[in-house]
Amino acid sequence: MARQRYHDGLALHQALPGRFLPFLVGAMTFLAALALAGGIAAHALSQRWTHGAGAVTTVQVPNPDDPAAANAGGASPAATRIHAVQDILATTPAITAAHRLTDAELRALLAPWIEQTGDGSLPLPAVIEVHIAPTRNPDNALLARLQASAPGTMVEHDSVWSDRLAALAGSLQACALLAVLIVMTVAVCVVMAATRAGLQTRRQAIALIHSLGATDGYISGRFSSRVGLLALGGGLCGGVLALPMLLAMSHLAAPFTATTDTLPTMGMEWRNPRMLLDLLPHALLWMLLALPPAAGLTGWITTQLTVRAWLRRLP
Amino acid sequence: MFRLHDVSYAYGGSRTAQAALSHISLDVPQGEFRWLLGPSGAGKSSLLSILALEAQASAGMVEILGVPVMQARRGALARLRRRIGAVYQDFRLLPDLNVFDNVALPLRLQHRAEAEISHEVHAIMKWVGLETRLDALPPQLSGGEQQRVAIARAVIYRPALLVADEPTNALDDRQAARLLAMFHRLAELGTTIVVATHNDSIVRKYPAPAIELAHGHLVRDYR
Ligand SMILES: Nc1ncnc2c1ncn2[C@@H]1O[C@H](COP(=O)(O)OP(=O)(O)OP(=O)(O)O)[C@@H](O)[C@H]1O
Ligand SMILES: [Mg+2]
Repeated sequence: MARQRYHDGLALHQALPGRFLPFLVGAMTFLAALALAGGIAAHALSQRWTHGAGAVTTVQVPNPDDPAAANAGGASPAATRIHAVQDILATTPAITAAHRLTDAELRALLAPWIEQTGDGSLPLPAVIEVHIAPTRNPDNALLARLQASAPGTMVEHDSVWSDRLAALAGSLQACALLAVLIVMTVAVCVVMAATRAGLQTRRQAIALIHSLGATDGYISGRFSSRVGLLALGGGLCGGVLALPMLLAMSHLAAPFTATTDTLPTMGMEWRNPRMLLDLLPHALLWMLLALPPAAGLTGWITTQLTVRAWLRRLP
Repeated sequence: MFRLHDVSYAYGGSRTAQAALSHISLDVPQGEFRWLLGPSGAGKSSLLSILALEAQASAGMVEILGVPVMQARRGALARLRRRIGAVYQDFRLLPDLNVFDNVALPLRLQHRAEAEISHEVHAIMKWVGLETRLDALPPQLSGGEQQRVAIARAVIYRPALLVADEPTNALDDRQAARLLAMFHRLAELGTTIVVATHNDSIVRKYPAPAIELAHGHLVRDYR
């Protein structure tokens, strides 16, 4: 069988040399991996800064120790306003964490203003830091409920920055997608050009085996399996070469994208591959795994179409 | 077996170009031998290329081995080509394959077993007297040797239709006689054979029905 394939006159090793194409496809895969990593990193950052650990909503409760307003919808068992507010926050599903700032934290936060007025006994509101689950926004009903228990309560969401960050992240993701599309288009063009050149150099042999009864499917299959394999090899090389770079970048980005506030230990375990891979976002890991087969498949399909279109010139 | 009805052919498919063939009608039954005669430029090669499915007639009806060619799909034409053998005027050997692989090519495309291929190639190459040159590349052979390789490649898969364009022009008399004897034997076994030539002496030596062309027109169809 091997002899049959390699002696059918197509001489694909000459028609489609094994260096040029894998090199170019490898370079394209490398670029695509970087673009995808950029897009995914932008997505992760925007998630964190708009919804995650970076986005804090503050709830201010004036006169926290006054009795809770009596007209609160359900008979609230809590005695003070701050307790009533904390009860409501604790039972709101969208809220993942609520932390009342201690007196010391509050005074540290307000130090510049307190020193100016020089009045240490100024009545301070209670401030609660609230973390809201990603993709869920606290609605106005929550504010109304809070104000019913504790009149004057304010909810402040730092949305100017997070909106801007979300817009920035969105455009970064669009750029990454565009880059991937351009890289794919260039890869398709490269494969087409290489295939056409290969067809051109073997046109006599192709015309002959066509006249001996070789089908279009046979000829295009021979070309596309070679191109597909070369592209797969190039894609594997490109992906493997991109991996260390992406790992280094993920390591640098870890403090900003971490979903918890605990910083990763700086003494990285570079020798533990599992830990290394855990550094990469899972989406990126999957895309990295998918890139080489995608490169091979793109090469295969492009070659099939190119060869079949070219063969139409034969009767 | 093939039938042509009112077939015309112009190179490049252009209607303004002078037709290489005009209004040819022919009917050759299975297992018949025909000479194809005519002066240079008469259209012999053009007619053979239509019979070998190398060219598509511009007009008319072509039926080869029972397949209506003008309506057939590409896959059906590919299968039909595997039943047609052709010896081209310019041989069309692949210069980078050795003699063995050139002759084995049609069998390899039919996915025959390698042992069978080897047996068949050795037998046919012995018959054409080139069994010692199996490893040579075509450019290393003389014109007559290349022609014999081309003939071997055309007959090795026992085609049902064999078209040969000047297959004796590079052969000496003895080899030409052997070749024609083989063609007659193949015809007896059921292969339809058309041989183009403008060598009158060989036609006189081997009388057979003839198709004669001039300026793309059919002038005589002897039976
Ligand atoms: N590729 C081509 N493009 C355009 N015209 C062609 C082509 N091949 C042949 N012709 C023309 O078609 C006509 C028939 O040519 P063909 O080759 O069929 O003649 P022939 O009978 O085989 O001649 P010869 O005996 O010299 O081989 C000629 O006028 C020739 O000039
Ligand atoms: Mg001719």
